[in-house]
Amino acid sequence: MVGAKMAAAAAASIRERQTVALKRMLNFNVPHVKNSTGEPVWKVLIYDRFGQDIISPLLSVKELRDMGITLHLLLHSDRDPIPDVPAVYFVMPTEENIDRMCQDLRNQLYESYYLNFISAISRSKLEDIANAALAASAVTQVAKVFDQYLNFITLEDDMFVLCNQNKELVSYRAINRPDITDTEMETVMDTIVDSLFCFFVTLGAVPIIRCSRGTAAEMVAVKLDKKLRENLRDARNSLFTGDTLGAGQFSFQRPLLVLVDRNIDLATPLHHTWTYQALVHDVLDFHLNRVNLEESSGMENSPAGARPKRKNKKSYDLTPVDKFWQKHKGSPFPEVAESVQQELESYRAQEDEVKRLKSIMGLEGEDEGAISMLSDNTAKLTSAVSSLPELLEKKRLIDLHTNVATAVLEHIKARKLDVYFEYEEKIMSKTTLDKSLLDIISDPDAGTPEDKMRLFLIYYISAQQAPSEADLEQYKKALTDAGCNLNPLQYIKQWKAFAKMASAPTSYGNTTAKPMGLLSRVMNTGSQFVMEGVKNLVLKQQNLPVTRILDNLMEMKSNPETDDYRYFDPKMLRGNDSSVPRNKNPFQEAIVFVVGGGNYIEYQNLVDYIKGKQGKHILYGCSELFNATQFIKQLSQLGQK
Amino acid sequence: MAVDITLLFRASVKTVKTRNKALGVAVGGGVEGSRDELFRRSPRPKGDFSSRAREVISHIGKLRDFLLEHRKDYINAYSHVMSEYGRMTDTERDQIDQDAQTFMRTCSEAIQQLRTQAHKEIHSQQVKEHRTAVLDFIEDYLKRVCKLYSEQRAIRVKRVVDKKRLSKLEPEPNAKTRESMSSEKVSQSPSKDSEEKPIPEEYPEKVPVEAQPELGSWGDGKGEDELSPEEIQMFEQENQRLIGEMNSLFDEVRQIEGKVVEISRLQEIFTEKVLQQEAEIDSIHQLVVGATENIKEGNEDIREVGTLGPESDSEALSLTRRHLVRAAHTEGSRDHAVDGPVP
Repeated sequence: MVGAKMAAAAAASIRERQTVALKRMLNFNVPHVKNSTGEPVWKVLIYDRFGQDIISPLLSVKELRDMGITLHLLLHSDRDPIPDVPAVYFVMPTEENIDRMCQDLRNQLYESYYLNFISAISRSKLEDIANAALAASAVTQVAKVFDQYLNFITLEDDMFVLCNQNKELVSYRAINRPDITDTEMETVMDTIVDSLFCFFVTLGAVPIIRCSRGTAAEMVAVKLDKKLRENLRDARNSLFTGDTLGAGQFSFQRPLLVLVDRNIDLATPLHHTWTYQALVHDVLDFHLNRVNLEESSGMENSPAGARPKRKNKKSYDLTPVDKFWQKHKGSPFPEVAESVQQELESYRAQEDEVKRLKSIMGLEGEDEGAISMLSDNTAKLTSAVSSLPELLEKKRLIDLHTNVATAVLEHIKARKLDVYFEYEEKIMSKTTLDKSLLDIISDPDAGTPEDKMRLFLIYYISAQQAPSEADLEQYKKALTDAGCNLNPLQYIKQWKAFAKMASAPTSYGNTTAKPMGLLSRVMNTGSQFVMEGVKNLVLKQQNLPVTRILDNLMEMKSNPETDDYRYFDPKMLRGNDSSVPRNKNPFQEAIVFVVGGGNYIEYQNLVDYIKGKQGKHILYGCSELFNATQFIKQLSQLGQK
Repeated sequence: MAVDITLLFRASVKTVKTRNKALGVAVGGGVEGSRDELFRRSPRPKGDFSSRAREVISHIGKLRDFLLEHRKDYINAYSHVMSEYGRMTDTERDQIDQDAQTFMRTCSEAIQQLRTQAHKEIHSQQVKEHRTAVLDFIEDYLKRVCKLYSEQRAIRVKRVVDKKRLSKLEPEPNAKTRESMSSEKVSQSPSKDSEEKPIPEEYPEKVPVEAQPELGSWGDGKGEDELSPEEIQMFEQENQRLIGEMNSLFDEVRQIEGKVVEISRLQEIFTEKVLQQEAEIDSIHQLVVGATENIKEGNEDIREVGTLGPESDSEALSLTRRHLVRAAHTEGSRDHAVDGPVP
């Protein structure tokens, strides 16, 4: 038990920790031990939408079944009384939820109640439940009440977001709109801080906090520091003492929390990308690790009578068990296409092997050495049969990724995303451009209006000097002709003006994306992925602004950009927020949190950065996860004011 | 880390109680509250379902305990050699097998009964789903316990087969060979007792154990003949030959045995698959039947309409009919995979 805990801590995998916490909760708040001849226990799981979002990336329906859950239901749905079954609740302590729970108690729906609140419940609400329990004479039925401190959603081993249900509350737009009142801001900050607090409780560590000055990130940092400090001072109820930390604290150093504001880098969320996971998020409907595809089965030609093409909706879960995904989610797309092809070929070889046995079996009795041949074949057959489930699983994954990759490829070809990617990389790294921006914008074939808007905004953001009025007018006209909405530009103009005042605009480093010519190789192998006309671009490692900031802070490098970042240490007795860091050693573990939203491109960049460093871990979190489409929408709304 | 606030909750309950008393608010419980709670349970139909389910579980638990308790003795193969408490005769083992099997059968029947009963009773969808899942869990539990049983039985059967193979010895019509064997036996019986390891590497050592009763009578009956050196040599050669034969037979039988085990495993898997396919074929059958019905009705409708309408519509109607047929084709061939509820 302790060994398992230490292993989990050493990896500092937030996903494992949250999963373990959930499983313990589902096991009636007792640590879960696997017993092959144990008696079955059954229970019912009731959650609200928040709870659903937290559980669904971590536990599949089968895993819930394995934990003995017969039914899982939404709190605010019609639920029938099921006698003699304990119910485990996993909900947020909101007014509505508490009311519904009290109603359940009054209606005597279940035999016993295990109440688990995603974040801490207030004393007064607890009394409301007590009241209802008394009124319904159900006090003894309430078996356990727990504060779970799990108010965040883990998507990857090292990535988390704050929430999904109420993400509008904490969106970039919500934080940056000019008409926000102080109280509204307070609410938003409190929500963010509550989730971050839960995160650190689950992680079992008190971080050292660094943040930039004068941003929303600073507000979050101040509040978080205060909250952690209060909790540590309260020795009796502190969540960071004793056995919660004990086995969990494997590294002797505390992690670094870097709080950055989205406003330091608006180009990355708009960037066109080239790695698998980021592409899927950008062009397909992908969230909470589930991708929804619409396939049109337009293969049959209906002669007369125009029947509309039937669209099959398919959704796939991209989970940690999916080995192909885990291996390739950060790979450039052409590599992914090749690998799918390879997997398909190896699968076909194995399939043929199995099929061959069928014919061999038919030969028995022909030879004299039939018995010896039979013995081999029996063994082969057994091994073939036992490897069948594995083969089937492999096939399923190959199908899945073929479909997903094909869908992505269609988008790339239709919108010429490779061209955009290359061009934007050039802009962001300030190398000379071979094609004029105006040409691309005016080109009717290349990309949707949104793609063009993205490109132009990136150009505008990264330009050292704003383009002249005349040029700007020209661009604006071209954009409008292409069908773009100019509202985002309004907002970016304002932002740029403000950013110029605050500090020098960040540069994106010097790199190039080297085009390797057309991918003829893939075409020749008769691949399904005909990447005709799609450039095979190779990504060169560059550090995005967020990664750079992290690098400076983690390695204690001196840099004008980060030197005046504030420094908070909740464990220190005196509220010391000087910018002089006490700790001179580089950090082994860091958590980067972007206030205002983040995306997979940044995540991938951080993953690539830390891959080169042995023994260091990074976790990436953001208040919401958006792709470029969603972000442009928010910018547009902001620009409308 | 999660924080247990159950005590806090109980304290809140007390607070609320005292507060309500102070305010004179009529708490739905109050004095009768505690009594109500006690009585609350009885009018509610405790549900035979769950009590019966728990009964079945406790039965399976008893079976499991029983099996685990006697497992060591059961597996211990050479208890006839040992003379301690751990001895278990074959009859006892058979008894255990028998009991275990009847027990398992009764348990699975009970589960079946519960299943049919649960379906018959009219309950809400959720309760039905819940009960089905509970029964699945119980069945799974039974399967796991049965695995315990089948594992130890497999070991036992293997041992028995081994033993039988070794003990099979066809008596040679040659008296001298018998002599040589009995002489061998005499020389080797002292070594038998010291050896307790059951590894049947050299069969001649084991033969005396089983062959003793068979040859004893013969050995006593014959007199001692003189053994000339040639005869001894001949006997030795015969022995070698027999050893060789026995070894090859032994190998073959071993191979076949292994194969039989594998085949039986394969058989199990295939049966499972066939049953699965049966279920699928059934559902496809249902679909096809439904589709045929639909087509029939559709055709009838068209006929009705066709008789009423003017001539120019017949073309459109025949087209529509063709479409219907095609629709039926695609519907029938399409796989309807039903996904379970996903959070």
